[in-house]
Amino acid sequence: MSDTAKHAARRYTRDMLLASGLYAVFVFAGASAIRYADPPQWAVIGIALAPLFPAMLMLRAYAVFVAAVDEFQRRMQSEAIMIAAGVVGFGSFAYGFLEEWAGFPHVPLIWVLPVLIAAWGVALCVIRLRYK
Amino acid sequence: MRNRLKVLRAERDWSQADLADRLDVSRQSVNAIETGKYDPSLPLAFKIAEIFGLPIEAIFFKDEAAQAAE
Repeated sequence: MSDTAKHAARRYTRDMLLASGLYAVFVFAGASAIRYADPPQWAVIGIALAPLFPAMLMLRAYAVFVAAVDEFQRRMQSEAIMIAAGVVGFGSFAYGFLEEWAGFPHVPLIWVLPVLIAAWGVALCVIRLRYK
Repeated sequence: MRNRLKVLRAERDWSQADLADRLDVSRQSVNAIETGKYDPSLPLAFKIAEIFGLPIEAIFFKDEAAQAAE
């Protein structure tokens, strides 16, 4: 790994850990506030959207990392994202029809992003093996 | 596109990691270029040519040109 890539990886790990910690705090504090404090609806909406802030920080950390790595690494990341977006996009589209027409159990939309991230991880592993 | 990267590197007794350090890219990137799985951008190809002190066309070939040379 080049020095630039090492620096980028260190920064990515640091920023991602910070954003993950913030995310956990926002989720637990938000869930507790809604459960025990009985806030008004406008506050519930704000609390429900609050975890987006650390999630955006995660996205920013990833964008900074991708911008810092070399062109080949960037290409692998792009391919992985495209494959993950295709799989999750078409998968959720297909499951939507199955929910509506075939009575499949409802899956909350909150799962789309975690599944997208998981699919990206799997796709990246496959792509790395292909280029090995 | 094919290239003579492996030969040129071997002539200088450089490992893939050595070349990667000189280019400021990952070793995996050098390997992908060497094996023809990835074609570098023009700026990276110029950087490679500069490091080896050769024109780009002495390092990278179109597939047919490489086959004809063989």
